[in-house]
Amino acid sequence: MSTPSRERSLPIYPPDNEPWDWEVTNRTSWRTWSFKALWAYRHLLFRFVKRDFLVNYQQTLLGPLWVVLQPVLTLVVYVLVFGKWMGIKTGDAPPVLFFLCGILLWGLFSDLFTGTAFLFTYYGSLYNKVYFPRLVIPFSVAGTQLLRFFIQLVLLVFVLGYYSWYRSFAFTPGLWLLSLPVVILLTALFALALGLIFCILTARYRDLSNIVHLGIRLFMFVTPVIYPLSVVPASVRWLANINPLSPLFEVFRYALIGQGLFTTGQLIYSTLFITMLFLLALVWFNKQAARLIDVA
Amino acid sequence: MSRIVIEATNISKQYTLGATGTGSFRQDIKRWLGKKTGRPNDPFFYGSNSAADTLLALQNISFQVQQGDCWGIVGANGAGKSTLLKIISRIIQPTTGTVKGRGTIGSLLEIGTGFHPELSGRENIFISGYLLGMKKAEIKQQFDEIVAFSGLEKFIDTPVKRYSSGMYVRLAFSVAAHLQADILIMDEVLAVGDIEFQKKCLDKMQQVVNDHLRTILFVSHNMQAVTHLCRQAIWLQQGKLVAMGDTSQVVDQYVGSLQQNRLRLQWQHEAEAPGNEYVRILSMELVPELHSPESVIDVRTPLHVKFTIRNLSENILLNAGLHLFNYAGECIFDVASKPVWCRAGIVEGVCDIPGHFLNDGAYYLSLIIVRDTSIPLYYFEAGIHFEVADYREDTTWFGKWKGVVRPQFPFRFEPYPALRDTQSIDH
Repeated sequence: MSTPSRERSLPIYPPDNEPWDWEVTNRTSWRTWSFKALWAYRHLLFRFVKRDFLVNYQQTLLGPLWVVLQPVLTLVVYVLVFGKWMGIKTGDAPPVLFFLCGILLWGLFSDLFTGTAFLFTYYGSLYNKVYFPRLVIPFSVAGTQLLRFFIQLVLLVFVLGYYSWYRSFAFTPGLWLLSLPVVILLTALFALALGLIFCILTARYRDLSNIVHLGIRLFMFVTPVIYPLSVVPASVRWLANINPLSPLFEVFRYALIGQGLFTTGQLIYSTLFITMLFLLALVWFNKQAARLIDVA
Repeated sequence: MSRIVIEATNISKQYTLGATGTGSFRQDIKRWLGKKTGRPNDPFFYGSNSAADTLLALQNISFQVQQGDCWGIVGANGAGKSTLLKIISRIIQPTTGTVKGRGTIGSLLEIGTGFHPELSGRENIFISGYLLGMKKAEIKQQFDEIVAFSGLEKFIDTPVKRYSSGMYVRLAFSVAAHLQADILIMDEVLAVGDIEFQKKCLDKMQQVVNDHLRTILFVSHNMQAVTHLCRQAIWLQQGKLVAMGDTSQVVDQYVGSLQQNRLRLQWQHEAEAPGNEYVRILSMELVPELHSPESVIDVRTPLHVKFTIRNLSENILLNAGLHLFNYAGECIFDVASKPVWCRAGIVEGVCDIPGHFLNDGAYYLSLIIVRDTSIPLYYFEAGIHFEVADYREDTTWFGKWKGVVRPQFPFRFEPYPALRDTQSIDH
């Protein structure tokens, strides 16, 4: 395979056995795998997070206040509808605290999932124009949502403070508080794993995008978000138990407001399930992403 | 420098038309079943999605690029140029074959990749830079230079949605121009921006080319720019590599192939000839005055339009008109012959179009036959199709030459005699 220019020019040096830096074939190469490559693009990731955060609130009157206003408004509706009118038993804790815990953690899960489940539709044109590790975008969405969540956690701390100072709610800090980072991380990982899987499915089968929104809404009702697991009748308890999110929500509330129902076995199941699913999703995403660019 | 930095071996890219795009779950199930049962090509499983629905965007392309080379990739739209660049840039995977490379790649397939309208110019410089693969230090260090290159110092903190399209392009290109990748891949990036800025970009590219350290792959429809910047070229046609090697040869072959236009029309039987009960067009021909048989019509070439018609009426006053159109549908000119009294029989016409008159581009000619200088008898539309290639001397400007025509009028431009001889004007 010699080109005219090569014939003209000097003998090849360094010798042909100099290793190649990269290779493109129809197989997914180790390169798309390498976390080193992802790390090299960490600044892009941070910029994406910053961008999403800025763009969302630019030219809005209240700006970043919306990050906390959104859950507050949801809270008002939930307390009224589910708490007052439907009378869902939320246990001993004040309903406001109970619902807020659920709303925040569920918000993280559902926003992170819907933010990643349509990646190829939103970012197809970008993916199609420039190469960068494909995982940068889903990870940056996760970053944005986690950032939002941590801001909302501050709100939760204030509400907790208010209820312990001015109301008869006794906040008892326990060792379980230390489990919060793990619970939050697992929730985010589960959403991200599902998002990675669904972004491939929605790119392939456009019909699915309609179902995804409905599905996530229905999924909320089989997760103890607006009700404690303890009110679920024993006959259908298994349904909630196979949901790896259930124990996470229960632990989250147990650590913060001392109310939750879970077993160690459930936690182990949840952790294993989510970790496995996340790894699987990574493998699949890496394998499919390069091919999907042609479709998206 | 003759270190090979890109080696492409037998790359092919096949697209399945329709099926993947429609995202049909049933198709996928069928195909999967087909694979499982070991009959992947069974029409039952494939349904209508057979070989007929696939498109080979690239077929067995192999080449090697050495460090410091600048390659031009030419070809018609849909020839697979962009697909090739995308494969080398690792954006898409080839169906078969391998591309191996050494060094970092920076690909500029679009101007303003990753720009967000809501963000400021500053923020966009960073995002776009990172997307193109620049390092943080690289951007920080060159930030002022990038801004200065774009000439947008005042607007750098304004959201880019408030920029004019020209400003947008300038900012985008400025980021791209400071990309320090070992291999630069560019797709038609010069097609944008105002003339002054295009010149700046070409100069910048020329600098890179002159360094002989970085390698450039450059897709463009601008043959002047390709010839000027690149030493090697590849010509792709419908996914196949037609020619590869020295730029001027490849470009000549490519431009020559474009001009297999319809320069000559003749009808053996009058009954088949276009026309009506008054006139019939017997032949129409464009005769260029070429220096050699291999050369192509360019802006210097004088052209002669010759035609013969049969007049079917006795003693009428006829004249002919020639309409030249470009493919945008604009009429470039409408020239009319003097009217003459004709008897029934053959009438000949020749019209001379001087060289140095038409601009480069594709054109077609229509012929109109008129009676009594006012009544159209027959309009023969778009008979002759031809293209005029670009040719330039004494200039370093390679953007599209403006104007519908490109005449060379007498043009005097010189220092004023009174000043020329004065040694000192004022001290």
